[in-house]
Amino acid sequence: MSHTPSAGTQATVLEKVIDFVDERVGLKLLAAKMLNEPVPGGSRWAYVFGSVLLFIFIMQAVTGVLLMFYYVPTADHAYASTQYILHDVDYGWFLLSYHFWGSTAMVVCVFAHMSQVFLWGAYKKPRELIWLVGLALFGIVMGFGFTGYLLPWDQRAYWATTVGVEIMDKTPVIGDFIARFLKGGATPGQMTLSRFFVIHVMVLPAALMGLAGLHLFLFRSAGPAGPFRGTPEELKAKTDYFFPRQIWKDIVGMAAVFACICALAFWEPVVLLEEATPDPGDYHPEPEWYFLFLFQLLRLKMFSGEFGQFLGAMALPGAFMALLAALPFIDRDPERNIFKRPIALIGWVVVMAAILIFTISAIINREFLD
Amino acid sequence: MQPKLKSKVRCADQEIGEVTKVIMDPLSHEISHLVVSVNGSGQRQVPMSVVQTVTDDLVQLRSSSAEVMALPPFKRDDYVTTHEVEIPHLEDHIHVTPGEVLVPFPELEKNVKRRTFFANLTHVIGLFIGLPLAFPVLKYLMKPMYAPFDNGWLKIGNVGKIKADDAGTQFKFKRKVKEAYLPEAEIEKNVWILKATPAVLEKVYQGKDMEFRDATGKTIWTNKKDVPYVAFSGKCPHLGCGFKWRQHKVLGQVFLCPCHLSIYDASGKVLDGPAPRPLDPLPIQVSASGEVQIIDMEFKAGTKSQTRIV
Repeated sequence: MSHTPSAGTQATVLEKVIDFVDERVGLKLLAAKMLNEPVPGGSRWAYVFGSVLLFIFIMQAVTGVLLMFYYVPTADHAYASTQYILHDVDYGWFLLSYHFWGSTAMVVCVFAHMSQVFLWGAYKKPRELIWLVGLALFGIVMGFGFTGYLLPWDQRAYWATTVGVEIMDKTPVIGDFIARFLKGGATPGQMTLSRFFVIHVMVLPAALMGLAGLHLFLFRSAGPAGPFRGTPEELKAKTDYFFPRQIWKDIVGMAAVFACICALAFWEPVVLLEEATPDPGDYHPEPEWYFLFLFQLLRLKMFSGEFGQFLGAMALPGAFMALLAALPFIDRDPERNIFKRPIALIGWVVVMAAILIFTISAIINREFLD
Repeated sequence: MQPKLKSKVRCADQEIGEVTKVIMDPLSHEISHLVVSVNGSGQRQVPMSVVQTVTDDLVQLRSSSAEVMALPPFKRDDYVTTHEVEIPHLEDHIHVTPGEVLVPFPELEKNVKRRTFFANLTHVIGLFIGLPLAFPVLKYLMKPMYAPFDNGWLKIGNVGKIKADDAGTQFKFKRKVKEAYLPEAEIEKNVWILKATPAVLEKVYQGKDMEFRDATGKTIWTNKKDVPYVAFSGKCPHLGCGFKWRQHKVLGQVFLCPCHLSIYDASGKVLDGPAPRPLDPLPIQVSASGEVQIIDMEFKAGTKSQTRIV
């Protein structure tokens, strides 16, 4: 709500400056519009994930820019410059570790955000487009993880990329082109590093900012879905504006995530392996933890051979993403209560359990390799 | 019909004022109240439930003027305007404005006959800007993607280090690479060399000499089926990790890839795991003094057939 200083009291310098800008761009109206968004059924802790994701992204951008002050994206300097950040630059270890754990937090919050929207039935009409753009954003976050992983140019980085690109190579028809395009050749090298770097620091951030803006615009056009229970009267009675209660919950969520990332960066700082080389030595290649379930899936006998591999590495994840994209158009029942949507509830539990089981079995498998 | 601003408001007994504001329900997007400016004595908030009829310029109420006067005064501070709040589509179906708000059409715009033509032309010109760029940009990005194969022989060590027959021995070697503008660099690679017994050799070559061809199909080397030394590329044919020579509880001594647990016997044959084809033998020659030379080749992983990529 806009408050103009009442007549008689002297306006402070700050108020004068604000009024000056307001007169030209309608700042107060804009702020009011941003903050006065009714949240049907009232603010909730369950709604914090979107704002928290925006916060994590901003922090990733800030720490990412800071890392680029020292990082050099060349095959002969990437590893040394990363080690320099870790061991010589004041607080370099912290910024790099924050960036690393921030990416993990991003993936965790994306899962939480998507789960919340899914369980609340918030992807349904009229919010189909928000869901679709959200899926694209999910892909971009995964792309960030994949491209960023190569940049330190250590053995972990090299082998995750080698295997990851080999998987993309299995795309029908265009696989070989995509793999060579990403690697900038037949094997990972300088060209790969250059490509992943520019994708990580320019292409994906631009795409993410554009799509996140679209995501928010679409969200504001449709309005928040609100809880799946309650009569219109009950919802109306509990409704409040985005500011202050929801913003309060959001900022507490951000602070909690910030504290977690800092703690992880502090107690589990990034440690690099040997510099990247096509000879793995004693290192057992493994992807980042959020790709572990897919990694473990590809060990299964049913996904062996050329066709099995296509099935496990491309067809299955592809079909799953296609199903998610088609979800609001298949599931047209307006019922949003998750306890009245048994297939959706069971589906979610099964997917989560499968991811959990495969991740754990991948971790257990580690022991048998040494 | 919806009540309009400035409409006169008449009670059951007499006219009492005019509509100055309307209040919307944020949930149903319907008008819930009218704010009536009572002639000379402030504003009252009148629920729509007491509205009997609405005509073009008159709102007829069921209540008497005394009942309306008895309503509490309207409190402006309890409300925000629709401009200050973000409720999607709130204004879509309310028509409370006293009339349309208009601005004149510019003179020059009045007789433009070719609006669609101009719109399409804009797209065409945009296309003419973009199209010539597409091919150069694609070629620009594709520059390093396809490199010719290097068929030079590399010295990688002496067979003296092989301790047993039919056991994988890793030979590490350094290979010089010159990538684009970068100074020449060395990368570490490895191959596995086997001193095979005739039985294993038979499994590798299946009684035939193995020919290696270059891109044009010309034979560059032939591995003779009776030379006991076999070299396997260090790259796992499943998804390209590096495999090891390991003791397996059930299968004995095997090649095992730690990534997706593909297992191969000494001849490179797949025993277990997801690999789609056996290990890839490389061109090898061993001199009289035991010096090993190979041609370093890599093949696409994950396919049943061999496709050379390096």
